[in-house]
Amino acid sequence: MSVTAIDQARTSAFRPRLYAGIAILVFWEVVVRAFAPAYVATPIGIVLAVPHVLVDRAFLLGGVITLAAVAEGLVIALIFGTVLGLVIGQSKLADRALRQYINAGYTLPMVVVLPLVSLWFGYTGAARLATIVFAALFSITVNVADGARSVPQEYLEVARSFRSRSWRALFEIVLPASTPYFLAGLRLAAGRALIGAVVAEFFTAIPGLGYFILYNSRTFHHNEAFVAVLLLAAFGVGFDVLVNWITRRYLPWYRRDELTG
Amino acid sequence: MRRGHDIAARYAPPVLSFIAGVVAWEVVGRHTNAAFLVPLSETLDRLWDLALSGELWSQLASSLSIFAVGFVLALIVGAPAGMLLARVAMLRRALDIYITIAYATPLVALIPFILSLMGFGFAPKVLVVFLFAVFPVLYNTVEGARSLKPELVEVARSFRSSEWALWREVMVPYTLPFTMTGVRQAIGRALVGMIAAEFFLSSTGLGQLIMSASQNFDTAGVLAAILVIMVLGLVLMRIGRAIELHFARWRV
Repeated sequence: MSVTAIDQARTSAFRPRLYAGIAILVFWEVVVRAFAPAYVATPIGIVLAVPHVLVDRAFLLGGVITLAAVAEGLVIALIFGTVLGLVIGQSKLADRALRQYINAGYTLPMVVVLPLVSLWFGYTGAARLATIVFAALFSITVNVADGARSVPQEYLEVARSFRSRSWRALFEIVLPASTPYFLAGLRLAAGRALIGAVVAEFFTAIPGLGYFILYNSRTFHHNEAFVAVLLLAAFGVGFDVLVNWITRRYLPWYRRDELTG
Repeated sequence: MRRGHDIAARYAPPVLSFIAGVVAWEVVGRHTNAAFLVPLSETLDRLWDLALSGELWSQLASSLSIFAVGFVLALIVGAPAGMLLARVAMLRRALDIYITIAYATPLVALIPFILSLMGFGFAPKVLVVFLFAVFPVLYNTVEGARSLKPELVEVARSFRSSEWALWREVMVPYTLPFTMTGVRQAIGRALVGMIAAEFFLSSTGLGQLIMSASQNFDTAGVLAAILVIMVLGLVLMRIGRAIELHFARWRV
């Protein structure tokens, strides 16, 4: 598709999107006003709540704490997940031996580990961090392993015939070739990590965005609580957009049509 | 001879590593604080007790009824809505961005709102499972139907096909495999939704099994319940993948 065609598609989609958005908001406002108790969040109520939520210490601190915990957990999961993924992707033996554990960890709903980590770490930030790492680890591992497996054998053969050392082949061929998969895994992992942080805060009642939502909705401040939900959603969508942008900007050879389509 | 060697190379590593995992759990469990980890044998003992007393089965049935109702509702709503969006380009263009946003939003964050609006009954839990499951179905159906070649619709039209026949002969058969990819993803998400609902709304089913064990510092009970959920997850995933593969054969 040419640039002008994309522009045209964009402008033609803009108006219907806008109208649909307005229709959804109006519908929400009207239905809640007509049928729901007064404390239930409505679009106007949420907008009115934004100014005082943005200066609320609990909200700001909670946001910083939760996002910092997600970032920390993601870094830990990235390191272990990448190493594990490379090992599994490069060695058939490791793949066969470890696959069942990776699959089990990947399919186990992450909320299930909450009672266990709270038994192990108490009702603390460490329990939240453990939940985040657990939530993020396996999607990175699985994707890096897929990436490492997808490296064309010819590349490695060429490297070998030029007598490249195996660690050089790892860093200069396997890692770059699996970067798009790694990014796809990271995108999945970030979403899961965010969910992990929120459910851990629900469960352990430690300060953070999740707890802010829990506390405010229990005290019937739904509008305030919903501002935090919007921040979480914005973070999730923003990370998606960022990873897509990185992939397009720096890895333009990778499945271009799929990302723009 | 060669063949026997291949089979050994294929099945020996997973079997051996499985045995190693079992032994490691047992040994570590015997040498750590019981509040931290208990041996596998004790966990299985506890599981056996739960199965004999019937508690396991009644809680499993309670969980699965929430799962099934929420999931079927998600399918009934998600698949037709997805196809409708695909057929009516205007509607799709207007709504696709909102579906993407809803798909990317951490829906667990909505559970406290559902709790204070709908309370502790069966319906709020079904709603949670529904919300978790509906977006993968919707999203994949729309994506699939969007890739439907316009020529197919044009050919149908030039043979004077009615709207109903177009749906029956082109839209539904073409889109179904994509919907089934959504179904596979939805199964995993619905399972998360089910447990989350049982944790954070009112404790019932497998969630209650874990919660009450955890509150009594009954580590064996927690681990036994996690084992059950893990097996349930693996079985449901296997079913989901089988369904997806079955329909993938039609994919053109």
